[in-house]
Amino acid sequence: MPGGGALPPGTSFPQHLALTMMTGAILQAINGVSLAALLFLLASGFTLTFGLMRVVNMAHGAYYLLGGYVGLSTVRATGSFALAIAAGGAAIVLLGYLVDRFLIRRTGENHLAQVLLTVGVAFVIGDIALKIWGGDSLKVHVPELLRGPMELPGGLVYPAYRFVLIFFSIVVGVLLWVLYRKTQIGAVVRAGVDDREQVSATGINVDRLFVIVSALASFLAGMSGVVGGAFLMLYPGAEWEILVYALVVVIVGGLGSLEGAMIGALIVGLLDAYGRWLLPEFSYFVLFAPMALLLLVRPRGLFGKDI
Amino acid sequence: MGRVGIGLALAAFAVALTLPQFAGPFWMGLVTQMLIFGLLALSVDLLLGQTGLFSLCHASFFAVAAYTTAILQVRYAVPTLLAAPAGLVAGTLLALGFGLAVRTRGVYFILITIALGYIVWGVLHRWSSFTGGDNGVTNVPFPAVGELRIGSHTEYYYFVLAVVIACALVYRVLIASPFGLSLRGIKASETRTRSLGYRTGLHLYAAFVLSGLLASLAGVLYVYYNRFVNPVSASFPISVEATLMAIIGGSGTIAGPFIGSGIILGLRNWVSSFFELYATVMGVVFIATVLWAPDGIVGLVNRLRAARARRKAL
Amino acid sequence: MTRDRIRRSLRGLAALLAAVGLAAPGAAYAQGGPIKIGLLVPLTGPLATPGRDMVDGFNLFWEQARHTAGGRKVEIVVADTTCNPDQAITQARRMVHQEKVHFMVGPLCGHEGPAVAQVSKETGVPLLMDTAGADTVTKWDRTPTVVRTAVSASQIGHPWGEYMYKELGLRNVTFIGQDYTWGHEVTLGAVKTFTALGGKVAKIIWNPIGTKDYGPTIAAIPAESDGVSAVVVGVDRVRLFEAWFNFGMDKKKKIYGGYWMHQDALPQMDERAIGLIGNSLHYAAGLDTPENKAFTEAFATKHKRLPSWFAESAYTTGLWSKTAVDSIQGKIEDRAAFLNAMRTAQIKAPRGPLRMDGYDNPVQNVYISKIQKIKHPVLGEVMTNVPIKTYPAVSQFWTWTPEEFLKQGPYKR
Repeated sequence: MPGGGALPPGTSFPQHLALTMMTGAILQAINGVSLAALLFLLASGFTLTFGLMRVVNMAHGAYYLLGGYVGLSTVRATGSFALAIAAGGAAIVLLGYLVDRFLIRRTGENHLAQVLLTVGVAFVIGDIALKIWGGDSLKVHVPELLRGPMELPGGLVYPAYRFVLIFFSIVVGVLLWVLYRKTQIGAVVRAGVDDREQVSATGINVDRLFVIVSALASFLAGMSGVVGGAFLMLYPGAEWEILVYALVVVIVGGLGSLEGAMIGALIVGLLDAYGRWLLPEFSYFVLFAPMALLLLVRPRGLFGKDI
Repeated sequence: MGRVGIGLALAAFAVALTLPQFAGPFWMGLVTQMLIFGLLALSVDLLLGQTGLFSLCHASFFAVAAYTTAILQVRYAVPTLLAAPAGLVAGTLLALGFGLAVRTRGVYFILITIALGYIVWGVLHRWSSFTGGDNGVTNVPFPAVGELRIGSHTEYYYFVLAVVIACALVYRVLIASPFGLSLRGIKASETRTRSLGYRTGLHLYAAFVLSGLLASLAGVLYVYYNRFVNPVSASFPISVEATLMAIIGGSGTIAGPFIGSGIILGLRNWVSSFFELYATVMGVVFIATVLWAPDGIVGLVNRLRAARARRKAL
Repeated sequence: MTRDRIRRSLRGLAALLAAVGLAAPGAAYAQGGPIKIGLLVPLTGPLATPGRDMVDGFNLFWEQARHTAGGRKVEIVVADTTCNPDQAITQARRMVHQEKVHFMVGPLCGHEGPAVAQVSKETGVPLLMDTAGADTVTKWDRTPTVVRTAVSASQIGHPWGEYMYKELGLRNVTFIGQDYTWGHEVTLGAVKTFTALGGKVAKIIWNPIGTKDYGPTIAAIPAESDGVSAVVVGVDRVRLFEAWFNFGMDKKKKIYGGYWMHQDALPQMDERAIGLIGNSLHYAAGLDTPENKAFTEAFATKHKRLPSWFAESAYTTGLWSKTAVDSIQGKIEDRAAFLNAMRTAQIKAPRGPLRMDGYDNPVQNVYISKIQKIKHPVLGEVMTNVPIKTYPAVSQFWTWTPEEFLKQGPYKR
């Protein structure tokens, strides 16, 4: 073999190549899943608010970015990553409530108005964040413990933080699922997704329910900004990049479905990782074309209900 | 259109004709841009204002038409007489494909058009051997047909003005036709229109393709004005801005999209020359329009006139 | 109340329309008045930081020059291009027609370059292209009124390929390149000189700007390659840096920056960067010359940070244009004379000696630099690029003749 580079002892060249492909495939799988973990955190909030309130909130990406920035400043001030997650989430809960209460609420169920309004909100948030945190790409610092590589069996090396992220996302996913499927609140929310009039007719305070779910979605968005900012960085424009991915996730999974967001995130994450590995020039195509096709066949996505 | 309306239109026409006499080249350029983007906004509004469908992929037709014309003119030295129609055809063909999106409604339609728009942007951006990538296509000449050639931005302004007026007239005939009527019927209630025996899906598809054709026309006009094109012209913000132009001016009217285009482009050039928080201003305009002027300027003026008429009647 | 509100909005609208549509074109200017320079940079959007660096560098120069050149006062008008060619072209036309600038400086983003050059071609107003680097502007698609004061993309790539082969002893390199014009031209320039010497390309991995995750890229590096060359911009610089160490690649392979760890990105990196080769570039803030020391100290005193190559480039453009204007006694209205003076001036810039080649691109040193911690007189301990090898007087055509090079055509992936 020209150019040096030693083979592991006892392997021939084709064997070695197959081995490289194998490790490549495994690494890409983990890459895909870790991106999926982040996308799920962000998309679950988006899909829940849509499912219950029929609100399309294009400012969700801006929530992510702003939450991340607040977390970043918290880490800088206190050094605590856990506190940063809480602060990032809490800040967005407050902001999200104000935007909901004073802006989105006034659009009724006019999706067009919602889209324009929330795009406007995203512009304002992005611009103000640029003024405060500047145009550099900034990284949220994670604790020493979570930094650096982790050795896997078979000699694979992978960033420890990504595993923590995957684990964290699974925990959040399970909690959400339990909340959604197994608790009283969840039952009411599910009923609200299916038939809102009926729920208010039973005397449940739908407004309060909306506030709770919307606060949860805001918290998820702000929090994902902090955990995402630790490996994707925060910078002007990040809000739109991540929003597009999140949109694809909810479209593929089906608007309003938690399970759909999980599956959708996995599909998008894996398509992204394998697409960029195997067909680098067509990475956008690999991501968006299957989605467009799927929508033509199944306009409601994989798990979406008729609305 | 009332007597006042006709008077206003005539006055606007007179101003438009004499504009190069007293406006400098910068303002002439800006006004030309306003007309072109007004046409794009009008194409968006053919769907939005007439059928109620909210498309966010119109920058795709605009850009594909612009690229086709530019590449043919610059790289293959194809004359304008072929290159410009080829641009229209390419944009319209794309609309024929993307038109399948009318199988969906409401928020799904919005989201699928966003995704389709991103595909086009991604292809223009990444397929750099053919599209020139970020650099795009430069050095597009002014249009020329045989001996007749446009030699300056002022002459081109008159050309654009003529095309825009022709489009507005055709558009007026179109929306007044039975076809236009059926579209507004679908906007009011699709089930009712369908029960009247209309094939609503087909009508929406036709409207989508026509709207794509109009957006392509704007794209061809744009590339001859700007003399270059790059992937930004296919990007999501262009689609959003075109929609906002239609709404801010007055959706469902002909003058509205042009007024909106004037306001947005004027604001962008004016504000960004002295104020750094330009995006904030745009964002606030978005929010304010949705909350306080959902019918746009034209709606605002109409409301004002209605209020005055009421006062007179009292 | 409603009526009032409407009336008020209408009045506002009328004012706006008046401002937008009816302002009369400005009065003609006479020679002897101030020289107006239009600086076109992104102040908002993804490249706002380098844009700000350019404004700071440019202003620093003119403050030091007391805003005079050729005996006339100098005025600077800044316009925000937002890194969008449409906006760049509109602002350039505004500069020419409304502000009546004598010449333009900018733009920053590669894809804005051809757009602004178009306006220069239309109007004849000279453009000093800085810092957009598209090769074609000074090679296949030249405009008589445009000269470049920064760098041509492949100009820094050519020495980089040779350095990897000759000095680093690499024979089988994986190239990580940013997938857009600048990235193609830098990377493929290096590939060209590297393979010409006999080096082998293990793989070229292209990443679009703003690639979220460098995990897939790192996983795709072939095991048999003996080194990795990185050409990355913007936020990707930090992402690649993080991914490299998080994947434990620092223990497995060597990575070298062809265009990677610039001054503006270093604060986002940490001590792990020390000792790595950061860049092959026409400027390094750690350059040890009197001109650069004076410049970096003045810049650091004012802005509490070291200048990036964008800041240096704008500063030097100021110096270059002042030299030219001085030599024609301030007769900036004579555009041909001004352009000729730009083309013949000899400059001692912070980055080293400069002169134009016959194709309107500077002939200049290219420095291979290593990231080191230095003691700065103003800033104290700070990480920066310190040159370890200088390629003197590099032409954009490297060792080829212009004719040979032009015949090869542009670098395309």
